[in-house]
Amino acid sequence: MEEFFQQLTNGLAVGGIYALIALGYTMVYGVLKLINFAHGDLFTLGAYLGFTLLTSFGLSDRVGPLLGVLILALMVMGLVALVGMILERSAYKPLRQSPRLSAVVSALGASIFIQNSIMLVYGPNIQVYPHNIMPDTVIHLFGMPVPLMRILILVASVVLMVALYLFIQKTRTGTAIRAAAIDQGAAALMGINVDRVIMLVFLLGPALGGSAGLMVGLYYGQVNFTMGWVYGLKAFTAAILGGIGNIPGAMLGGLLLGLVEALGAAYISIAWKDAIAFGVLIFILIVRPTGLLGERVADKI
Amino acid sequence: MLRKMMFALVLLALAVTPALAAKTVKIGVMAPMTGSWASEGQEMKQIIELLAAEVNAAGGILGKKVEVVMEDDGGDPRTAALAATRLTTRDVVAVVGNYGSSITEAGQMIFDEEPLVQIANGSTAVRLTEKGLKYFLRTSPRDDEQGRVAAQTLQAKGFKKVAVLHDNTSYAKGLADETMGLLKGMGIDVVFADALTPGERDYSAILTKMKGKGPDAVLFTGYYPEAGLLLKQKKQIGWNVPFIGGDATNNPDLVKIAGKGAAEGFYFLSPPVPQDLPYPKAKKFVADYSAKYGSAPGSIWAVLSGDGFLSIVEAIKGAESTDTEKIAAFLKKKGTKINGLTGPIAFNAKGDRVGEVYKVYKVDASGAFVLQP
Repeated sequence: MEEFFQQLTNGLAVGGIYALIALGYTMVYGVLKLINFAHGDLFTLGAYLGFTLLTSFGLSDRVGPLLGVLILALMVMGLVALVGMILERSAYKPLRQSPRLSAVVSALGASIFIQNSIMLVYGPNIQVYPHNIMPDTVIHLFGMPVPLMRILILVASVVLMVALYLFIQKTRTGTAIRAAAIDQGAAALMGINVDRVIMLVFLLGPALGGSAGLMVGLYYGQVNFTMGWVYGLKAFTAAILGGIGNIPGAMLGGLLLGLVEALGAAYISIAWKDAIAFGVLIFILIVRPTGLLGERVADKI
Repeated sequence: MLRKMMFALVLLALAVTPALAAKTVKIGVMAPMTGSWASEGQEMKQIIELLAAEVNAAGGILGKKVEVVMEDDGGDPRTAALAATRLTTRDVVAVVGNYGSSITEAGQMIFDEEPLVQIANGSTAVRLTEKGLKYFLRTSPRDDEQGRVAAQTLQAKGFKKVAVLHDNTSYAKGLADETMGLLKGMGIDVVFADALTPGERDYSAILTKMKGKGPDAVLFTGYYPEAGLLLKQKKQIGWNVPFIGGDATNNPDLVKIAGKGAAEGFYFLSPPVPQDLPYPKAKKFVADYSAKYGSAPGSIWAVLSGDGFLSIVEAIKGAESTDTEKIAAFLKKKGTKINGLTGPIAFNAKGDRVGEVYKVYKVDASGAFVLQP
């Protein structure tokens, strides 16, 4: 039984990260009907920028670890958001009126471009975050040892997701995003600046992806330029699992995928872990082709 | 008239080009310049370029300069097959590489059909030399030798229950299978055997599961990025079990990833690291390399690619020809001994390197790799 709960915490921590990245896929898809294949690489970029800022500024020495990491997170999110916006302007906007396939190809190209730029700037070696940044504390929850960082990651990702959800549901700008997701033409006629909405989506999604990259760097310590591929693929799966285009769906899908992976590895076979995760995806798509939450608010964000 | 002259000129130029190209002896190198093993590939390139410069400074081979032709295999079998085909069109006389067994396997047949001599450097999977290929050799040892050393080490340390973990690459799976077979004969229980997915970050689920089986020791036959994470996360869940790694965990980055505290006490099997090589030629090479690139070479596998290069150079000199048949015959001939960086190099008829190379290393508290007696 203890092992089961241990595996639950394992799965939730990984799932939280999948969910954060999945949000970026789902938001862009909701508004543009485009799979932003470069999103996984923006995640990698977040991890690398965090590495640079951490090692060059020595933030945590000056203002203490907690505040230091908070400032670091804001800086990384800001920078990755900026790159996301540039990406949209240079790779997607010129193709807005072209067939959708052209934009997908452009997204793949952007992915390769970002990945190789990171390799050329930082080199092909694995980069390792400094070890003394985060506390190594282990908390005992009901007699089970759980690393504190694991809980913090889950809490941080849930906070970010709830904040995003409230922003989309409760604010005027959020309403504009939802309107643009339903019908761009009608939204424009209602006086919504669709271009700005799209820009905003490309600021928010990458910012969340970048923050996930930073968390992976801080917790697992190891970053390399190809890491965006695996995480991107899993997060994309999570987004589809929950119903692509649907924000709570991405959160649910991410956490669920993390749990399925951890429990599948624990009770069936580790080598079959990915097969189990994708098997669950196929099963859900057969039963509910729009994903878990896709039907209720189809084509909306 | 003018047109005819131009035409003749072009024809002449075409006829002369191959003659010009043959002024150098081209040696091809297949290395992972990009992809997840890119650090190995970059080091292979640096080492071979350094050695080529030395060979050229000493007069080249057969009166010609050596030219190194790099081809990127991306650390990926599909890319490697394309790269191998491309390399066969670039007038190379022999090929050094690749690093990983599964990558080598993708291009092996292409070079054999050409035919070109290929000397692999990090490819230890047994079956690569069991196919009866005439022109394939390797400077690295084989997994069955490593499996034997792994099983003996586990036995010598008195472990009774062992967990075996690999990553489903042909190399890691081969080594795991080999060792497990030997362990059974020694009366050691394999209580857990499974594979992880390389390239992920979180292996806690696997560690939790293994912990539940209560092994005395864990043998991980995969690569250093995963080994580092396993060690780090093993410490985080408060599990104190000895870990033993295969030779692909031999990389200084292992300690950086795991952290010194978590890496301490980790055992691994490997041919000696470059700095521990006792031979004068190796000492001079490490010094030259450090002088040129600012730090000593980190990977023994990249150094073994240097040995592959030197073997080809010596074979061309010895055979006095760049003909594939003659190079291969010279390398496989009994009594041929090449003075390499990792000691004397000799090949058997299968193309495997002769002699024992594996040693046991332990990571100490400062993160250094200490050769065990």
